[in-house]
Amino acid sequence: MLSFLYARQSGLDDPVRLRRAESTRRVLSLELNHNRDVDRIHGNGINTLDIEVIDGRYMLSGGSDGVIVIYDLENNSKKPQYTCKAICTVGRSSRHVHKFSVETVQWYPHDTGMFVSSSFDKTMKVWDTETLKPAEEFQFDGNVYCHHMSPVARKHSLVAVGTKDPKVQLCDLKSGSRIHILQGHRGEILSVRWSPRYDHILATASTDSRVHIWDVRRASGSLFTLDQHNGDKSKTSSEAVNTAHNGRVNGLCFTADGLHLLTTGTDDRMRLWNSATGENTLVNYGKVVNESRKGLKFTVSRGCSPEFVFVPCGSSVAVYGLHSGELITMLRGHYNNVDCCEFHPDYQELYSGGKDCNILAWVPVLRQPDIEDEETNSKRVKQSETFF
Amino acid sequence: MRKQLNKEVAVFKSRMNRKRALIADTFCLTKRRRCAADSVTGESQADIRSSLQYLVTLFSRKLFNDSLPPVVLKHQLYSLHNDKTSVDKQVVRSDCNKCSTWDSVQSHFIIITLMHSEALVFSFPRQNELRETGELLMFQLGFDSEAFALVFAEDYRAKVLQGEAGRGTLGTVEKFLTKLIPSCSDLSFNKEKMLKEFLFTDSEITQLVKSGVLTVRDAGSWWLSIPNSGKFIKYFIKGRKAVLGMVKKSKYGEILQTELEGRRTTSQVKFQMKYHIHDIIGAELVECIQTTSGTLLRYVDGNVN
Repeated sequence: MLSFLYARQSGLDDPVRLRRAESTRRVLSLELNHNRDVDRIHGNGINTLDIEVIDGRYMLSGGSDGVIVIYDLENNSKKPQYTCKAICTVGRSSRHVHKFSVETVQWYPHDTGMFVSSSFDKTMKVWDTETLKPAEEFQFDGNVYCHHMSPVARKHSLVAVGTKDPKVQLCDLKSGSRIHILQGHRGEILSVRWSPRYDHILATASTDSRVHIWDVRRASGSLFTLDQHNGDKSKTSSEAVNTAHNGRVNGLCFTADGLHLLTTGTDDRMRLWNSATGENTLVNYGKVVNESRKGLKFTVSRGCSPEFVFVPCGSSVAVYGLHSGELITMLRGHYNNVDCCEFHPDYQELYSGGKDCNILAWVPVLRQPDIEDEETNSKRVKQSETFF
Repeated sequence: MRKQLNKEVAVFKSRMNRKRALIADTFCLTKRRRCAADSVTGESQADIRSSLQYLVTLFSRKLFNDSLPPVVLKHQLYSLHNDKTSVDKQVVRSDCNKCSTWDSVQSHFIIITLMHSEALVFSFPRQNELRETGELLMFQLGFDSEAFALVFAEDYRAKVLQGEAGRGTLGTVEKFLTKLIPSCSDLSFNKEKMLKEFLFTDSEITQLVKSGVLTVRDAGSWWLSIPNSGKFIKYFIKGRKAVLGMVKKSKYGEILQTELEGRRTTSQVKFQMKYHIHDIIGAELVECIQTTSGTLLRYVDGNVN
């Protein structure tokens, strides 16, 4: 680290390099901290977490009991011991609460005045954060597995929704209607994700083992599907040609720069794709245990030099190097299956929620102050006190 | 002149290294516990060819009356080398290879700076593109969509011709092998390719299927296969199941690798124990845990096998 500091000071290195080095060091030392806790409100498993983009202060969580909770992550007490308090809840007593489990929640990307939640009760609700009442409700024919709003879109406010129906629906928040349907999949849509680089590129994953990349401005079908063998039709049996995985594809995540896309499937594999060409980069992560029947929510770090992927694997969270495919560590701490995890880019913290109704905060380990320093400091304070 | 060039190359390399050094190299990415050094897994140099040759020695030829070439599975290499991605890159076709770091580029190019800072770039062929150069053949075995078998091309050719000696199909098979080995790295062929590119007739294709070099995959397409490999697959699956059963039945479902190697094999296990151990480690059917007494293999629940 000292070499990085010296290089920054003397101008040998770019300032960004020191920042990345420190972020990487912090991510590599993620651990459960007894000083950091999150309020336990949910009575049933936690399915989804989302941290807002603007301040990184508020976190939404959706549970299997239909309850939605908002937490304040910032530590305003002067003590190191801190429990992230739940500021408000859409509980079972509320008139507008979802009837069945909430599968996905997402803050409105431009401010915290609004958030959208979708659930197995076949509805998607747009909530007003002040009053905690739904401003808009969309009804669907089948269970809603996932939805996503584009984080960079300024020109449109489309929400992509994946349901039991093989058609991907695009709902417009400005007009409140369903304006577009994307046809091409043959099975349930388990995961949808907008690209963080272009506001018109959408990726969808389905139980038919295929991942389609769409340009929503086009009227005709998808741009391309991801093929795990990169067009080499000779490698597999004829039914498995042009599939992204050998099982259901249930997780999608773009990297922060939008250049690569990660997919996970029930064939226990995770693949990294070039999002512009759809080429499989053939990074081998090994066996990534995946038994989820619904979508799997995983995340990629931001601001580190080799980026890291945090994937829930059974009852722990596995951390892989993004481009090397190496398993860095397994974060163990949950008592039951982990369903979702979310990375806080400013503090390099990881929040994970699972079936044991706990949200755990994984915090980078700080270097403990040396005992000698503490003693000399207290001596100095005593001397100055006696002087006065 | 040479000394001066070497000096300049060294200076150039060190300057480039400062800028291109990865941040990841500064941090020890994985915590390694002190464990008993394992002679085979202690290799840090990715030398795929020598690992393949070592695995070939573990294959029992006598079992098949010397009619099969030594077969190694691709995932057995994962148990010998830590970096699965680099193993894949060196064994699979090279159009998926991309040099992402300067270090890997450096090993393939030598840049010589001349007196007036002009640079000559020499490129050396990657030493490990085994399938590109036609030294290694890959086969889809059929019992698992991810299990690929690797055979050295000379061994394959020798054994196939040995098996075909005296039969009428010898000529066709020889023609197929001469076309296949130097250039092709496909796992399966469809009818168009066979008729147009390789110029085989229908009756010749039937002869190839009869001789065992091709197996039916679909209407009008065939897998490349090893003749007489059915017995191999049968013994392999039985042996894998038996070895996994041994691990599962041990106390707590885990056993030290050295202890497993020393155990007596039952009649189900026809191959050498080490061959099966590399297979189950590489296919991640057991979890490998480094302990102070050596590598511990723990049975992973949820295996279909």
